[in-house]
Amino acid sequence: MKQTNDSLLSVEDLRVYFRSDEELSRAVDGISFDVRREETVCLVGESGCGKSVSALSVIGLVPIPPGEIVSGKILFDGQNLIDLDEESMQRIRGNHIAMVFQEPLTSLNPVFTIGDQIAEAIRTHEPVSEKELESRCRQLLENVGIPSAGERLGDYPHHLSGGQRQRVMIAMALACNPDLIIADEPTTALDVTVQDQILRLFDDLQKSHAMSVLYITHDLGVVTAVADRVYVMYAGVIAEEGTTPQIFEEPQHPYTRALLASLPSRRKRGQRLYSIPGSVPNPAYKPSGCPFHPRCEYAIQRCQEQYPKMCDYNDGHLARCPVVYDGGTTSWCEPSA
Amino acid sequence: MTKLNHSSNTTILEVDGLKKYFPIRRGFLKRIVGWQKAVEDVSFSIERGNTLGLVGESGCGKTTVARLILKLLEADGGRILFKGQNITHLSDNEMKPLRKEMQMIFQDPYGSLNPKMSVGRTIAEGLRVAGFKAKSDLNERLGDLLQLVGLSPSAANRFPHEFSGGQRQRIGIARALSVQPKLIICDEPVSALDVSIQAQILNLLKDLQDQLKLSYLFISHDFNVVGYVCNYIAVMYKGQIVEHAPADELFENPQHSYTRVLLAAAPDLESGKQWAV
Repeated sequence: MKQTNDSLLSVEDLRVYFRSDEELSRAVDGISFDVRREETVCLVGESGCGKSVSALSVIGLVPIPPGEIVSGKILFDGQNLIDLDEESMQRIRGNHIAMVFQEPLTSLNPVFTIGDQIAEAIRTHEPVSEKELESRCRQLLENVGIPSAGERLGDYPHHLSGGQRQRVMIAMALACNPDLIIADEPTTALDVTVQDQILRLFDDLQKSHAMSVLYITHDLGVVTAVADRVYVMYAGVIAEEGTTPQIFEEPQHPYTRALLASLPSRRKRGQRLYSIPGSVPNPAYKPSGCPFHPRCEYAIQRCQEQYPKMCDYNDGHLARCPVVYDGGTTSWCEPSA
Repeated sequence: MTKLNHSSNTTILEVDGLKKYFPIRRGFLKRIVGWQKAVEDVSFSIERGNTLGLVGESGCGKTTVARLILKLLEADGGRILFKGQNITHLSDNEMKPLRKEMQMIFQDPYGSLNPKMSVGRTIAEGLRVAGFKAKSDLNERLGDLLQLVGLSPSAANRFPHEFSGGQRQRIGIARALSVQPKLIICDEPVSALDVSIQAQILNLLKDLQDQLKLSYLFISHDFNVVGYVCNYIAVMYKGQIVEHAPADELFENPQHSYTRVLLAAAPDLESGKQWAV
């Protein structure tokens, strides 16, 4: 882990809304996050919290319309990606920012060999000879741990197992030595032992290629395994951010605490699991004030009325909850910053 | 492998030396060129009111075991004893009265509900089999069941697509309960659900077990879930049970190398503190 303030990706107050005839869904509603160089950052949250839309907007793949980037900046290496036209964006996509998706079988083309598909990624961005292309593809497959890589170049996706397909996806993402890889639930469809291999692979590659990784997941177990820093999302906003130990050992936001309390484990056998009352709000009809207040055990009147600011709990550990609970009384503590 | 328990009055299900081979066919004539040993000499038993966890990775044969027990597949060898009765070679007709006593909850609640049938009709089908004939009885019982799984009785008039993933799983559970089963096979019942919904369904399964004295065979790949739900765990690998032990023993002193591999790969969230909200 490297601790510098040198951010590679910096998202500021991003709002992405989806408009339909009847309603406006505020999928991402004012989020800010940073990914520093050579760092792994996790966006974690439950389905519908806006984590995938956030990732897609970074790489410019939000369908517009119905999507709409209402406000915000996405600064990558100092350049605001929102201002770029499609052609300039294409030069960045794959070359500087690459993406690995959840379902490797649907994101690989079934009628091309994996060699063709990796080669396409390189050819798009660099003028290289056929011979060099082949050796680079082979090298890439070796780097992601596919045995006898030279022979596998001619294989089609259906020849490979789920874990190998995900390795091919990672090889494609690495093809042009990107500075940032966005991985959207890359191990959700895989078995635990294969998941473990892929997570280790990410870790090795990140070190050897000096890359940054933005990791999107709903799985808190994966977060502890990979993340340097964590952003917990709820209903389109960041509820809490901090380093992995800060989030897991000293969670401050009631939502983060509730999530951790609801995890099953053998030490809780025989006890009831905590379950968060109610359900995740519809992004078109979010509650006023703090979006979590209807489900929060500590909510006070003011939580309904006022959207809370981020409060600094300790050394960069921020939570969007100013309610202080002290021996049976709750009070609202304005952040100093 | 040593046998776990000898069949007794408290044993609801006993499986002994269960085998299932699938033929591998090749060529134009589809000649059998070999056998895939999907389930090879699997033995275990479940005591009344208890939960046995069956853990393993995809393709290890755990769902095949479930299908063999429910007799959706015919076993190629071994015995299945349900409440002491050998059901291995019962005909469909002979199985019929027993089907009420064994039910299944599936991983994908949406895929296992008929989209064209209202929730009420879906569950009422089971209730009729269970012997609720009169309309008033049926409706009363339907309302009770929906409340039991935490849904409002008005859910009966709605259709599966109107519900969230967690609610659909509740409907699947209500349907399984409609015939008053003794044993429920849960095949990855929470792996498609978000953390907070997962907690609700696990609590519900536990409450139902206490109230209705149910026994569960709980199939999952997730050690954190299995460790929470089950007092006894069997680990499956390539069609065989490689280790079975009481849950705590398995976690603290795994004997088989594959169990150790699985445990090492499963992310452990317990290194930190236990959070009360």
